[in-house]
Amino acid sequence: MNTTQLGRECRSYARYLIGEAPSAYVIEKYLDFHQQSDLSSTLTHDRFDWFLARISARGPFRARMADTYASRFRKHSLVRGKLALTLALLECAPPSFEIVDRAPGGGLAGAVLRLGWQALRYALVLAVSAALFTPVRITMALSAER
Amino acid sequence: MDPIVVVGSGASGVHFALSVLRKGRRVIMLDVGYTGPEAVRPGDTLNGLKQNLPDPVDYFLGARYESLALPGREGEYYAFPPAKAHVLRARNEFGLQADGFAPLYSFGAGGLAEVWTGGCYPFNDTDLSAFPFGYAELAPYYAAVAERIGIAGTADDLAAVFPVHDGLLEPLELDEHSAVLLRAYARHRQYLNERLGCVMGRARVAALSRDMRGRKACSYTGRCLWGCPTQAFYTPSVTLAECRAYPEFQYLSGLFVDHFRVDSAGRVRSVVATSAGGQTQEIAAGSLVLAAGTLGSSRIFLESMYRDTGKMLELGGLMDNRQILMPFVNLRMLGRRWDPNRYQYHQVAIAVRSADAGAHIHALLTTLKTALIHPVVQAFPFDLGTGVSVLRDIHGALGMVNINFPDRRREENRVSLDAGSTPHRLVIRYRPESGEPERLAHAIATFRKILFKLGCIAPSASVHVRPMGAGVHYAGTLPMTDASAPLTCTRYGASRDVENLYFADGTTFPDLPAKNLTFTLMANAARIAEAVF
Repeated sequence: MNTTQLGRECRSYARYLIGEAPSAYVIEKYLDFHQQSDLSSTLTHDRFDWFLARISARGPFRARMADTYASRFRKHSLVRGKLALTLALLECAPPSFEIVDRAPGGGLAGAVLRLGWQALRYALVLAVSAALFTPVRITMALSAER
Repeated sequence: MDPIVVVGSGASGVHFALSVLRKGRRVIMLDVGYTGPEAVRPGDTLNGLKQNLPDPVDYFLGARYESLALPGREGEYYAFPPAKAHVLRARNEFGLQADGFAPLYSFGAGGLAEVWTGGCYPFNDTDLSAFPFGYAELAPYYAAVAERIGIAGTADDLAAVFPVHDGLLEPLELDEHSAVLLRAYARHRQYLNERLGCVMGRARVAALSRDMRGRKACSYTGRCLWGCPTQAFYTPSVTLAECRAYPEFQYLSGLFVDHFRVDSAGRVRSVVATSAGGQTQEIAAGSLVLAAGTLGSSRIFLESMYRDTGKMLELGGLMDNRQILMPFVNLRMLGRRWDPNRYQYHQVAIAVRSADAGAHIHALLTTLKTALIHPVVQAFPFDLGTGVSVLRDIHGALGMVNINFPDRRREENRVSLDAGSTPHRLVIRYRPESGEPERLAHAIATFRKILFKLGCIAPSASVHVRPMGAGVHYAGTLPMTDASAPLTCTRYGASRDVENLYFADGTTFPDLPAKNLTFTLMANAARIAEAVF
């Protein structure tokens, strides 16, 4: 992947993870990591994994879809590795570390409501992503067998 | 008898050395002695470092991103800090082959206790029942070591299991979550004591709650894991620096000790070591004290015996504490803000009576304050975006119980050398005691009940049984015994196979209680130094 594609990927992941664009420093480190390391050497990376990674780079919603699917069915996939890298960079660097750590208000009631909403949203996105990606995965697996 | 040659600068080696230096003896310490970087910006908090360092990713994840936790390391919730990478840096001469055991070893100055979490829990008479001495003999040395290193703690319910020795400092400031846990314990104390055999109290930790002998009190920067910037948190390198102030102390670093030579009278004559460049050096020894850790000392002993007698010996009885990590959520802390500027390691300890008469399972409760969260979020059963949002709400409610189990010497758990390799690799074979899965399952169920009573939930899917060796409390290959036999030591760590050879580390422990053994390693090393030299 070239630096433009990697930069786009990093921006998509940061907006998905913390709702804000990454700093220039985080993007620089994201590129630096990919120059030094090959994630596909340590994580699963068949055609479907590359597909999930490509989809996830196209914006925060698609990143959520791909990651939600992977969280259930593809825990060690490339997209999870790239997202873990992005989160690690965001939590180490200013100003994003403050956003990662920001404690929401609202006390116990607020927390319970938010946790309920997050669980519901996760279940919904998981259902949609499974409906969309499972046929793709099966098709790819079948074509690889032929 | 001079010089006394000490191999290794870990918890045992430095306390042995300091004790004999105070008696006016001459000491040569041989050590590989890798060191790490100087502490950066000692006045900054952890978040201050993120804000102020020119390249914070380099500091927190490493120049080669070696501390990045990628998917596939389930069950481990901490990323190892790059500033401590030197502690586990390998040395080419030391090869290892392990079966059923996943050992860690250190060639860093200060040894493995450079990355400990500071728990100081003296053994009581029950813990020492297989030792050739009891608590009364160790007590003055616990107090002496406490005076050297500074231990914060107090006498509370845990005093029934952890003897209260002299020299304790007042406890550290408690973080809010730990305080909530202790209040819950106070409310349910009777039930927990009587029904679950559980006592709970303040952890005893090697950290200063007030200034002591040139070291500053804990400044609560939340940087413990990355290396205390002010030495308020004790590691053996503090005592190593103290030893180096003595003119009678010679510290030879960069040397990997391969073996010792024995003269015709069966006495250690010299120690043979290699430098990083491969040059061999021979250092004359009046007495030799091995304190290279159980695995390191065993390897040196086996190699030396092979060279002296031509026999490949095997040492039985290797032990380690099995550990279980049990993450939990404290429902009373949900939605509460947390203060990142706190002491980072455990502040609460638990002892639970086990099936063995008088024995206990020992656990440390660490509440989550500052940490890199990307390994934690990956453990959640969600996508990472949801995980980050969830963590914001439950960060202040998260904690981890680290449960430690006792081990006992069994001859089938052996350490030997691989005769077919050059240099000889250390070969370790370990098998857990029969019935262990049932015991672990029972302990897990008990701890989940305890946590539930304290208002916490511990999801069973998150419980992680760590592999043997991960406890890094190795012991037992050349045990102290009253009865004389080959491949044993006297009550003062003197080898019964070579006349002027001593073991000052865990090699000689004939039993391994569930408590962290490091404090006892230090006290026992000081005891041997006082009694023999």
